[in-house]
Amino acid sequence: MVPFCCLLVVFCIEHALGADIKLPGDGFAPGWKTGGAPRTFLKADLFNHIDGGAELFLEFGFENVIVQHYVRGKAELALEAYEMEGAEAALGVYLMKCGRETPLPGIPTRNSSEAAQFTILKGRYFILIDNPDGDKALVPAMTALAATLLEKIPAFSADARLFDLLPKEKRLAGSERLLRGPFGLQPYYTFGEGDILGLKGRIFAVLANYEEPQGQASTRIVVPYPSPAEALTVFRGLKANLDPYLKILDAGETAFSFVDFRERYGRVRLSGAKLDLAVNLPVRPTL
Amino acid sequence: MRKGYRSLPADNGLGRRDFFKAGGAVGAGLVLGGRTLSAFAGSPQSQAAPAPKTSVRPKTNIEDALKVPRTAHSLPGPFPGKVVEVNDPKAMPDGKPEAKVIAALFEKGLTRLTDASFKASFGLFFNAGDVVGIKVNPVGPGLISTRLELVDAVIAWLESGGLPRKNVVIWDRFDYMLKDAGFTPERFPGVGIEGLQTMDEAAQEGKTQDNSHWLAKDGTHVSAPNFDQGVFYWADVEGPKDLAYLNQHVFNGKYSYFGKLLTQRLTKIINIPVFKNTGNAISMATKNIGYGAVCNTNRLHGTLFLDVCVEVPAFPVIRDKMVLNITDALRAQYDGGPAENAKFAYLHNSIFFATDPFALDMVCHKLLVEKRKSMGVAVNENPRFTEYLRYAERLGLGAVSAPKLAHLKA
Repeated sequence: MVPFCCLLVVFCIEHALGADIKLPGDGFAPGWKTGGAPRTFLKADLFNHIDGGAELFLEFGFENVIVQHYVRGKAELALEAYEMEGAEAALGVYLMKCGRETPLPGIPTRNSSEAAQFTILKGRYFILIDNPDGDKALVPAMTALAATLLEKIPAFSADARLFDLLPKEKRLAGSERLLRGPFGLQPYYTFGEGDILGLKGRIFAVLANYEEPQGQASTRIVVPYPSPAEALTVFRGLKANLDPYLKILDAGETAFSFVDFRERYGRVRLSGAKLDLAVNLPVRPTL
Repeated sequence: MRKGYRSLPADNGLGRRDFFKAGGAVGAGLVLGGRTLSAFAGSPQSQAAPAPKTSVRPKTNIEDALKVPRTAHSLPGPFPGKVVEVNDPKAMPDGKPEAKVIAALFEKGLTRLTDASFKASFGLFFNAGDVVGIKVNPVGPGLISTRLELVDAVIAWLESGGLPRKNVVIWDRFDYMLKDAGFTPERFPGVGIEGLQTMDEAAQEGKTQDNSHWLAKDGTHVSAPNFDQGVFYWADVEGPKDLAYLNQHVFNGKYSYFGKLLTQRLTKIINIPVFKNTGNAISMATKNIGYGAVCNTNRLHGTLFLDVCVEVPAFPVIRDKMVLNITDALRAQYDGGPAENAKFAYLHNSIFFATDPFALDMVCHKLLVEKRKSMGVAVNENPRFTEYLRYAERLGLGAVSAPKLAHLKA
């Protein structure tokens, strides 16, 4: 006899997974069938699905992922639907994973798609459709698979004002990113050890690149903290523990500038509950 | 002295056994949990800021490795800093390996590296009595794994030098990955194919609660006897005490034991990694061997992540046996690694050669950075991501700085 507690766990998982999506079954496109049962990974075992990189999903706010394979003869597709805790979390992962965004018009939501992989964002779902052989002949089937899945997912988007924290002038289109902890920050810049910006997987920072006269882009990051006190604590920690490859040039009570290992400049400015960071600057900034 | 690096009592206790699956698979390669030993040591800017509060680096037994006298075959080998790249656009027509072209590339690269004839180059590294292990990378089978045709060319070279086929062992840490990538006895008759360990994938993925395929009745992993508990990399970091971790990593204390294949049978090693990233760093020659030769590795993915790529190969069992490194960049992957990701894979049609794995990785790191930039991928160029290679140089294991570092195209 199955213990009641086990039934409860199963019910909770089924409920959580069944809330928004229904996986396409056999026949979503001519000749295609499911290849085995779907597999589900929750927070604690995401590591068993992703060979490295689970931390980024967890940092942004991961709930679960369903993985389903589909086959037609020797051809195979793999669908992964990641449910995130909200639309912002899903957008954050999408922007990190989409590469140079190349949307396919046949997919009725934000996506970056090519024969090897479709990367799709809808609501709080981040979706991958993998075509391991990169066979272009499978693109229509991938499109049909995406369309069938997306039908059932509610369309709501992240708050469009998220990126209003960043200045618009000279901002490079498509460079906007969200950060929610050190794993997201790492590809862009190293200010110091660990979660030195104090994002803690709960605060969304925004990042974008900016056009510079010398050709190489600079990068701007703005972090809105819940309170001025929290922002001040992070500012002081950052100044005291700045990465040893960054050398402070000028420092005041609410701002400092530095030069990095490539003789590019940076500036950190505290303004109320907000921290404003600029890096890869070609010219030494004023505070 | 070949054995006896033990400096603390072995800890094989499994401790708490639960089903919480916290063990990572291959690791993201994120350097976040504190500075590495290699980072900042000797850095000209190390006085630029006060030491971060989190700068505690776990102790390791690297000193034990460094005490062992070097041999004629010790890293960086006869060609410190020398990296040869060969390329032929016809190597992978339509993404399929062209065996003859790959064999020709192998000969061209090897002779350019050694400045010796194809036949004579054998004698620089081997004699007919050697037992040669070919360390491949089978992750991402078919897409980004070591090409079988390149391994064919290596084996043909060894045989042409007089080495019996039975003295060749294709190996990796995981047996099932070798099979998935096509390294089977049927494909390579007469050659040994060995994984240092097994792992029950079904149990790992939660498809079954039956652990009997990997867990012995005495509570140890069935692959535990494959590791030499007298030869180990010790680091003051505990492996998680859960079954999922044990299934994947065989042991979970503070010891990462070398496989007995390496400590007791192989006399030489050829390392054939692939060209791919791991997060902001690379997963090529030094990671292929550093994380492939020992067990209980996921615990090392924090502060020590990249230093392990130096310290494990610093032990004589690798340092004195790994005579040749060949990075298979016929198909490469510029993002999404170390797992395979077809979206970021591309045909590069190149093979790199070096006796010095650290020089090889430095050259390939720079090339990968350029590729990532060209594809619009964010690149953090903080020197900490290559500091481990300079750490290897300071230990005398490689030459990664000018003027010794030389990237030659043949």
